[in-house]
Amino acid sequence: MKTFEENWTAWLDDKLTGQELVEFESALPDKAAAEAEKRGAHQLGALLKRELVAPALTNEDFFHHQLRERIAREEAGSVRERGESVSTWWTIRRLFWTGATSLALFFICAAFVMRDKDPTEQSQYLSQILNAHVDPAVAPNATVSMFESKQDRVTVLWTEGLKSLPSDYAAK
Amino acid sequence: MHRRLMLVTACLALLTSVSPTYGRDFLDDLLHPFAPAHKKSSSKPTASHSGEIVWSGLVMADNVEKPQAIPSELARIEPTLKELFGYNQFEVIGQSRKTLMNGQEDWLASSKHFALHVDAQGPSEGGYIVDLKLMQRDSTEPPTDQLVLETATKLSKRSPLVIKGPQIGKGQLLLVLVVQ
Repeated sequence: MKTFEENWTAWLDDKLTGQELVEFESALPDKAAAEAEKRGAHQLGALLKRELVAPALTNEDFFHHQLRERIAREEAGSVRERGESVSTWWTIRRLFWTGATSLALFFICAAFVMRDKDPTEQSQYLSQILNAHVDPAVAPNATVSMFESKQDRVTVLWTEGLKSLPSDYAAK
Repeated sequence: MHRRLMLVTACLALLTSVSPTYGRDFLDDLLHPFAPAHKKSSSKPTASHSGEIVWSGLVMADNVEKPQAIPSELARIEPTLKELFGYNQFEVIGQSRKTLMNGQEDWLASSKHFALHVDAQGPSEGGYIVDLKLMQRDSTEPPTDQLVLETATKLSKRSPLVIKGPQIGKGQLLLVLVVQ
């Protein structure tokens, strides 16, 4: 047994036929008003069918790109969920190798610097005594030593034990 | 691939900046692997041995009540001389000023009783190799010369050389060489 609303909808859609149609139309209190409402519903349906079409996409490529990105993300998420590793540049292994390479470079450069600047090496900007000796016939107990005065970059050859001479040896 | 190239480039740049001498040699070797060693540029400095003046002097250091002004050649090292030797007057009793043309010259700075013989052996890194001999002339009849001190030094352009000589009276003989 159909309700009145079900029969009304079927009547509006012209789905009622035969005995059902006769019985429904005879049960209508105002058939003219119902017919007018039916025409209005048909006109509204035709209008909606004519006007409501799917809008055309103006940014179709962007939409596709978004879709592909989302699909890729979802697939990557499902891969991670399955416990599979994903390759990126800064993996633990690459971090380890980068650190080891940096340390090796540091030691190589440090070795170059140490070889270049030997702290015990005398500066080329200071005069150097290559060798020195006092004639033993003149001063058998004489000694020589050398040092640098950093203040004026003066290199000094210091002798001890030379024979003292009288003051007339200071003559010009 | 690009990252590795950048890494190698960064290493080379680091090497060159940290140690310019070896870095330049290393790059030179890389760029000219078959070039003869003697044709590669040498990074070691060489002395330009023309037109430089070497002042050599026999200086008598003494303590006096009214010291004379220090000679201009010694003005730069006056504080060191006073501090090291403890004298307040430095008088030049013999000197020589030699202009070097090829770095192989020899010359003499002498006073009445002393002569400093300087024999340049050629340029070296930042200066010259010089052999020095201090001769003493005694007032005997006939006068005799005897070698007191002999030394070989690398005389730097920026570093004067001072040699402490014998005590004379209450003073001290000093030998000074300065590249001017």
